[in-house]
Amino acid sequence: ALSAPLLPSAPAALRSLPPPVAASVLHTTRQLHTTQQCLAPLPPLPEKGGEVRYGLIPEEFFQFLYPKTGVTGPYMLGTGLLLYLLSKEIYVVNHETVAAVCILSVIIYGVKKYGSAVAAFADKLNEEKVATALAVKNEAIKSLETAIEEEKKEQWRVEGCSYLFDAKRNNVAMLLETNYRERLLTVYNEVKKRLDYQVAMQNLKRQKEQDHMIQWVEKSVVQSITPQQQKESIAKCILDLKALSKSVQATV
Amino acid sequence: MAGRRAAVKAIDWAAFAERVPPNQRAMFNALKTRSDALSARLAALPEKPPAIDWAHYKAAVAKAGMVDEFQKKFSALKVPEPVDTQTAKIDAQEKEAAKSTAEYVQASKARIAQYEQRLQTLRNMIPFEQMTFEDLHEAFPETKLDKEKYPYWPHRPIADL
Repeated sequence: ALSAPLLPSAPAALRSLPPPVAASVLHTTRQLHTTQQCLAPLPPLPEKGGEVRYGLIPEEFFQFLYPKTGVTGPYMLGTGLLLYLLSKEIYVVNHETVAAVCILSVIIYGVKKYGSAVAAFADKLNEEKVATALAVKNEAIKSLETAIEEEKKEQWRVEGCSYLFDAKRNNVAMLLETNYRERLLTVYNEVKKRLDYQVAMQNLKRQKEQDHMIQWVEKSVVQSITPQQQKESIAKCILDLKALSKSVQATV
Repeated sequence: MAGRRAAVKAIDWAAFAERVPPNQRAMFNALKTRSDALSARLAALPEKPPAIDWAHYKAAVAKAGMVDEFQKKFSALKVPEPVDTQTAKIDAQEKEAAKSTAEYVQASKARIAQYEQRLQTLRNMIPFEQMTFEDLHEAFPETKLDKEKYPYWPHRPIADL
């Protein structure tokens, strides 16, 4: 925006420039609702108020007088008006004038010194409110997006339910197969056991018969040795031993 | 032997595990351990029992005809296959599950549509600096004060302030 202090201090130098028209501050383009029903929303309110000279006189007045009287026109008008009011005593200078001057000067001093600080503070308050609202909005958007993601993921998850039933059916098939094989195995084992039992029984019987026969043969042989034969065999053994001992004595 | 050997389908346990939500992990693990135990048992058993050496027994066993009788009976024996009672139940369960799954997916899609709508309104919202209170109530319906239910200021229960 064009800064107000700059213009009044250098009117001559600026005569060459085109008349200052900042569209953002001269509200000549603002459209009002002229008919009853208009559904379109209003354009947003402007950021700053209209530009003003000396805090009192709007810029549009100077623009209005510029074509006829140039840059100094409104100043001349103002000075002339002021002198007229003072000299004709239409405006009387009394104690209230002094009071007005003092009060106005204090006010103007205060505004000029602290105006921007107060404005910044108020703006900060507003900013915080807007920032909170924005944060809420962004969080809402983010949570909605995550919710959508989660839902899609759950849908994907649910698609896997066929796996579960395949697994169950597999388990059942495996159990059946295992059972069947176990049965076959049991049959085989039983038959084998019975056959082996028969074979083992036979072997045992044969062995027992053999042992019994051997024992019986031994017993009968022992019994058949009569006492007479025993004496004869003992005498023969003694003669053999004597002969042996004689031959041994000879060699020694 | 047509009913025997119902095909054991190869299951991709890794893909299955991916899709299990965390609150059902325990059940999934139990199922997997059971499946693995069953397949281990199955693998441990031979497919066919070894053949019985009839010639050896014929020579060894003295009693005549016993081995022949055994052999005849053995080859005539048919081991009954175990009856499958559960597959029908599983199929029924699967149908039910498919139905409830379809319902859930429907509901989920409806929810997604709702969310999308809200998202669109939020994204197309005018900036807060240009809003009036009416515009705010349009964009965030929960801020609207219910003047019928609470006719007196502050138009909401004091606890909510």
